[in-house]
Amino acid sequence: MRRIFAQSRKELTQIVRDWRTLALALALPIALLLLVSSALSLTVTDLPIIVQDLDDSPASRDFIDAFRASITFHVVAWPVSRQPQQALVSNQARAVLIIPDHFGRDMARGLDAPVQLLIDASDANTAKLIAGYSGQIARAFHKKAGSSQADPVQAEIRFWYNPGRSSKKFLAPGIFVLALSMFPCLLASLAMAKEGEQKTILQVYVSSISAHEFLLGKVLAFMVVAVAEFLLMLIPMFTYFGLGIAGDPTPFIVATVLYAFCVASFGIMVGAAIPNQAAAIQAVSFGGFLLVFLLSGLMFPIANIPAGIRWISFFVWGRYYIDIVRDAMLQGGGWPATWYKVAMVGLIGGVFYAIAWWTMRRMQLET
Amino acid sequence: MVPVFNYRVGALLGKEFGQILRDRRLALVLILPPTLQLLLLGFALSATVTNIHLGAVDDSRTEESRELVATLSESKSFRLVRYYASIDQLSGAIGRGEVDAGVVIPYDYDKDLQRGRITTVQFLLNAINANTAAISQGYAEGVIETYNAGLRAGGLHASFEPIGAQDDSHQGQATLHPAYLYNPGLKDSWFIVTGVLGMLLILNSCLVASAAMVKEREAGTMEQLLMSPAANSEIIIAKVAPLFVLLFMTAILGSAVMKLAFGVPFHGKLPLVLSAAALCILSGISIGTVNSTFAKSAGQAQLMAFFINPPLASTSGALSPVEAMPKWLQSFTVVNPIHHFAVIARGSMLKGSGFADLWPNFLGLLAITLVLGSVSVWRFRKQLS
Repeated sequence: MRRIFAQSRKELTQIVRDWRTLALALALPIALLLLVSSALSLTVTDLPIIVQDLDDSPASRDFIDAFRASITFHVVAWPVSRQPQQALVSNQARAVLIIPDHFGRDMARGLDAPVQLLIDASDANTAKLIAGYSGQIARAFHKKAGSSQADPVQAEIRFWYNPGRSSKKFLAPGIFVLALSMFPCLLASLAMAKEGEQKTILQVYVSSISAHEFLLGKVLAFMVVAVAEFLLMLIPMFTYFGLGIAGDPTPFIVATVLYAFCVASFGIMVGAAIPNQAAAIQAVSFGGFLLVFLLSGLMFPIANIPAGIRWISFFVWGRYYIDIVRDAMLQGGGWPATWYKVAMVGLIGGVFYAIAWWTMRRMQLET
Repeated sequence: MVPVFNYRVGALLGKEFGQILRDRRLALVLILPPTLQLLLLGFALSATVTNIHLGAVDDSRTEESRELVATLSESKSFRLVRYYASIDQLSGAIGRGEVDAGVVIPYDYDKDLQRGRITTVQFLLNAINANTAAISQGYAEGVIETYNAGLRAGGLHASFEPIGAQDDSHQGQATLHPAYLYNPGLKDSWFIVTGVLGMLLILNSCLVASAAMVKEREAGTMEQLLMSPAANSEIIIAKVAPLFVLLFMTAILGSAVMKLAFGVPFHGKLPLVLSAAALCILSGISIGTVNSTFAKSAGQAQLMAFFINPPLASTSGALSPVEAMPKWLQSFTVVNPIHHFAVIARGSMLKGSGFADLWPNFLGLLAITLVLGSVSVWRFRKQLS
């Protein structure tokens, strides 16, 4: 036990001495959190649309005003003489609303008046949102106009856990986990690869310290770094993003310690297997960044990944921790909802540690 | 500095190409991963919302209410998982993630309809994922609208006769007919891969360039190059040209992957996209070169690239629409080469836009490349002297 602490004290001293890297490792997660969680949002507002009103009646102008009043769209002027598609091709608008001749007359006569909405679907998700929002605007327009054909069944939609539908609250836990998966493990792999590169690992082999003591000491030191990053990142999470702890915090706390162990072990494992700093960074950027970014449901639901590669996400450690953080900060499901995910984080961390230990042992035998 | 292609440049080019070709692994590392990443990103990043798992609480337990649930689950958007006895059970199931959405039908549903009264059906949506919630809301309202139309037309078992309906006060409704242009199948991958190609070109050229520059310095052969009669600009041209050729092959391969694996239509002119790709590669190489002049070792150079690239990529609009970013971030996309490439690729490939529509983005990309290029030459010279 004493040797483990001595080892991690040595490691922490080295980290603190390289204060420039440490400052980066503590400041960058926060910068990343603030920047990326607002940048990756999918919920668009203030989309430019153009309107071609071929009717120009009071009814059609009322209908356009309904679109003008929404925060989702802003109407851009466009001459009637120019082809409306030209606005989409030149990226000046995302959709075109075309109100045909006789729109007002048909409405007054009680006929259905068709309105054409051309949507630029090169971004499929935004196109679906445009269709959904404009449907809502049209329905609200009818209700206000006092159409006697009231809908017999009304849908009352409640948004749970995130009533404002803020995408920041959805993305922030994801980026929080991404930052925590990248930086501690980057530092750990660099420190471990350095031992291999500078051959100081040989001193460890000839000393009386055992492989477990050496590895645990290193892992412990980088767990401290991870927890420090975690605590620092909680500040913007609770203030800027307006998140809080919903329900029982114990699964979150246990999972955080296990996740710190998991990412530190991953870094140590990579550094032990690849005794070359540049190559180790490549491996971490693949495992810590690309896998966690792509296959953990950070931005898009995991269910959308084709089955051929979806199974990989079963092994992606970040996936479980993202679910735990979202549950702790938004849903508050507590242990019944998350025990299995907490266990998976611990299990994957254990596997990383075991591989790191095994690599150490094999290297020791070879040298 | 006038880039003259004389025998000195030729000799240096021969040396650089020879080095790369001898290191076959490097050529492989340069071309293969971007292609694989393009495939992975294109397949894995999809915001499609289908098969929303639906739980139902049916307090009415009549044919009318079952018909409503059937209408919901008949659409591809919702899939009925099971019925729950009470709202408490349903909310528990949403909390545990068993279902993503719930529908609650009141006990007097059929009676209200028979008597011609308006009835309200409650939808509970798990809104943690704001985008999925917004799209589910659209789906739910669409299904209810269809159901209402069916009630009026009398095609359903349930029927509805509004009280006091007078046909003379009847007013028509404006019906929206959305048409999805340029991507009628609403494929998410078309949006992702057209942006991601630019992102991968920048990231990889940045990594490769800084590795190549640092390698010469680490090996201590930079002095030998300096002592040769070649001018600095000639050294730079010879260094950049082979990387550029290899990365350009990646761009061509990437375009082929887009066409073959994702079925992206090439409505516009391919040379337009490829010249934008070439500018992207040049600015990526410039970023990498500047980066390498600050780094002492290959490890440090990579570490710095690690810090520059994720923010650059995520604020570019390659993965998410620019309109969804905060206003202050939107203005930064003007100086982001990935953003300009994404606009050009999407415009040309999906919409068939020509140079007349895309020139502002070309101008932006060209300006960024020139600025980054001159900064990198300046830093490189400063480092040499």
